[in-house]
Amino acid sequence: MISVDLSEKMVTGKGNFVDDINLPGMLHLAFVRSPYPRARIKSIKGGITSRDIDMKMASVGEGASAGFEYLEHPVLAKEYVGYVGQPVAAVYSENAYEAEDLVDTVGVDYEPLTAIVDPEKAMSAEPMYPGLKSNILADRYLGEDFQVDAPVVIEGHFVNHRIATDPIEPRGIVAAYDGKRLTVWISTQSVHTIKQGFCEVMKLSPDAVRVIQTDTGGAFGLKGGFYPEYVVAAWLAMKEGRPVKWIETRSEHLLASRPGRGVVGRMKLYANRQGRILGIKGDVIVDSGAFAGGSGEFSSRFIAMQITGPYEINNARIHALSVLTNKVPQGPYRGAGRPEAAFFMERMVDRLADELHMDPVDVRMINATREPFVSPTGLTVEASKPFLEQAVKAMDYNGHRKKGNVGFGWFVLVPATMPGETARILVENRGIKVWLGGTAHGQRHDLFVKSILADELGVDPEIVEWQKGDTDQLKEGVGAWGSRSAMMGGSALVEAARKLREQVEKKYGKYSVARLLDGKWDSYEYFHYDKPYTSLGANLITVSTDRYGRVKVDECISYYDLGKVLNMDNATGQNAGGCAEGIGQTLYEGLMFDQNGQMITSSIADAGVVKATMVPRYRLILHSSESTLPSKAKGLGEAPTIGTPVALSRAIEVATGLRITDTPINPEYLISAVREP
Amino acid sequence: MTGKEVSITINGEKKTAEVEPRMLLVHFIREIAGLTGTHVGCDTTNCGACTVIMDGRAVKSCTILAVQADGKKITTIEGLSRTPGKLHPVQKAFVDKHGLQCGYCTSGMVLTSFWLLNRKKKVSEEDIREAISGNLCRCTGYESIVDSIEEAQRNLEKEGGYTEEEIPVRRGR
Repeated sequence: MISVDLSEKMVTGKGNFVDDINLPGMLHLAFVRSPYPRARIKSIKGGITSRDIDMKMASVGEGASAGFEYLEHPVLAKEYVGYVGQPVAAVYSENAYEAEDLVDTVGVDYEPLTAIVDPEKAMSAEPMYPGLKSNILADRYLGEDFQVDAPVVIEGHFVNHRIATDPIEPRGIVAAYDGKRLTVWISTQSVHTIKQGFCEVMKLSPDAVRVIQTDTGGAFGLKGGFYPEYVVAAWLAMKEGRPVKWIETRSEHLLASRPGRGVVGRMKLYANRQGRILGIKGDVIVDSGAFAGGSGEFSSRFIAMQITGPYEINNARIHALSVLTNKVPQGPYRGAGRPEAAFFMERMVDRLADELHMDPVDVRMINATREPFVSPTGLTVEASKPFLEQAVKAMDYNGHRKKGNVGFGWFVLVPATMPGETARILVENRGIKVWLGGTAHGQRHDLFVKSILADELGVDPEIVEWQKGDTDQLKEGVGAWGSRSAMMGGSALVEAARKLREQVEKKYGKYSVARLLDGKWDSYEYFHYDKPYTSLGANLITVSTDRYGRVKVDECISYYDLGKVLNMDNATGQNAGGCAEGIGQTLYEGLMFDQNGQMITSSIADAGVVKATMVPRYRLILHSSESTLPSKAKGLGEAPTIGTPVALSRAIEVATGLRITDTPINPEYLISAVREP
Repeated sequence: MTGKEVSITINGEKKTAEVEPRMLLVHFIREIAGLTGTHVGCDTTNCGACTVIMDGRAVKSCTILAVQADGKKITTIEGLSRTPGKLHPVQKAFVDKHGLQCGYCTSGMVLTSFWLLNRKKKVSEEDIREAISGNLCRCTGYESIVDSIEEAQRNLEKEGGYTEEEIPVRRGR
């Protein structure tokens, strides 16, 4: 029996989200944002500006890489603006409506410049900033160059457009300062990232910052990062000695929160006529946006590394490029590079099948590996052929193929395991509290935490309370992202529980639940893990189309290797939500820009978040295995966002005869396949 | 800006305050009545996180001015169950069927479901999906929400339906 505290709280409106916090004397913050994608700032009158806060953002959190000081995002724009929505100045009031009014009192004189919008053209365009040599932010080759004598050569150009992360709760923060210590309440995936961000940007000592997580209304990668608005809120709280609140509006979210995807793939695949892939070459071009410090520079390399997927391909040479454009910096969105790699590869494999008039699954089978394999780009793959054979059978691929428009796709999931995770268990007053270094933002870690402690300690799950993040309660931690929580957070918790058992045994000679609960115990564990731990997954989708070219997803089946499932409600929920997001990416979701760099997506509806009428029921079939980690779990969170777009794109190709190269698929393109009867 | 006095009955309790004419109903509910279970998600009437029941209809409180709600009766998520400590059958179904992950859209989902199940006796899965198509959820993929609403329908049937006088529900359009 699993306790449902969190559910009961939410269904009765008793959640405590960041916007629900109201402190005496609180100020409300609002931002003046750039209306231009690229401009020189000639003057600013009014508001808090870079004259007051002359700081640059730190590169912290998921996928962040440092060493780009010159290109780091200024907290408030100084001399230049690089994207529409960039914070230029801040205003505040005791009343949130008035703060919004004050935005109009700030006068900014801009000299607009021609924006660099298309990432492929940006590479040869004039450098975005004075002193910059080119707009290429990261440039690496993965794999050795090769030449093969291949009778079949297929080239493809693919785009995954940018997607707003769009959690239903936008970003937000409340900051307070007591003269000695900054305390912030925040909607986040990692209180530790946020603390690190404050310490680095504002040069605060770790003792002088406490970060407390509020109930977090979804995040999907967005809230693993550290943002300029947070610094301004903290700075103002420290300056005024009053609490400060900032809550993002949805239009601010679309314009100025880091979106995911935004990647171009230019692929060239070499094969023989039997369907054996002899090699793959290509360029991965990430539309990184106007500054470094997001995941933009890391993700091109990460995508390139994964290109070869579950296949035994002995030749691969991928050029990984991250390119500056006049858009908000790119960030992680559920999948974060994994869906892009699978999309580029799986689209090519389907084209190879069509070229050779073979069944797409047969081509996949020919290229799957019987033995564990390390690809030329560095991807570790376990024996994928046995998995594929079982997947095809379990999902009844052949049955579906006879019936209709079926698409199949599979992938290697590379969870963000490194560098491990922390956990703390506190037993007192006959209750158990648990903190994990990565904080749940809607994935219900409370459920698997209860399951693990019921197993490890034999306690009633009812008395186990999962706690939100708080840097005063757990000194170290990483974050909840990259399909890592059940693997890394779960393993840290298992190890902490085992330590606790040992402590009880040491004191009493024998462990018993009664002895545990009679005492006060505090167990902390940093489970270090420095290796990749990949797993396999596959998706099957069937579709039908109507006379307007509209696509209906009829069936959506996942076949995943999850290791030990810690909590089945958790797993089915993660699968369902991820499948819906995969369907969203394929058919509806995208942030679109005009040729001048203005975003033409204006609402959460335009951005394409799927509605209940757009998605089917989902089926999750488990590939049975166990991981060698203490939690025995493997990754899940991002799997459906990788497998769904590839399977769905193929199903649409079968249904329409069209070639799918871009997501979201343009409805005008779909209707072009409709023939008058 | 000159204020305007409005009186709104929220969960059976009358709240009177002088407000700016531009104040949105959702802010009256959250800030003046102090009921933070009603959420703001999108500002454009798309997401439905701010859904409340106003005079028998499920409405999005971010698109109604507080002055427009003057004299009206509102039910928010906090007022759905009138028995302290007991969940309303719709709330209970969302708990039992795991109809939420992060919980941010939940208040709106529960209230839209309540409205649906009270104006239509027998609902199909298609009816449910259509009815909640103005409420966005980014976590669940909707499946567990649909299951919750089907369960809520069964709960209501078992308990002889929900005929709460304080929360009238208008039938038809």
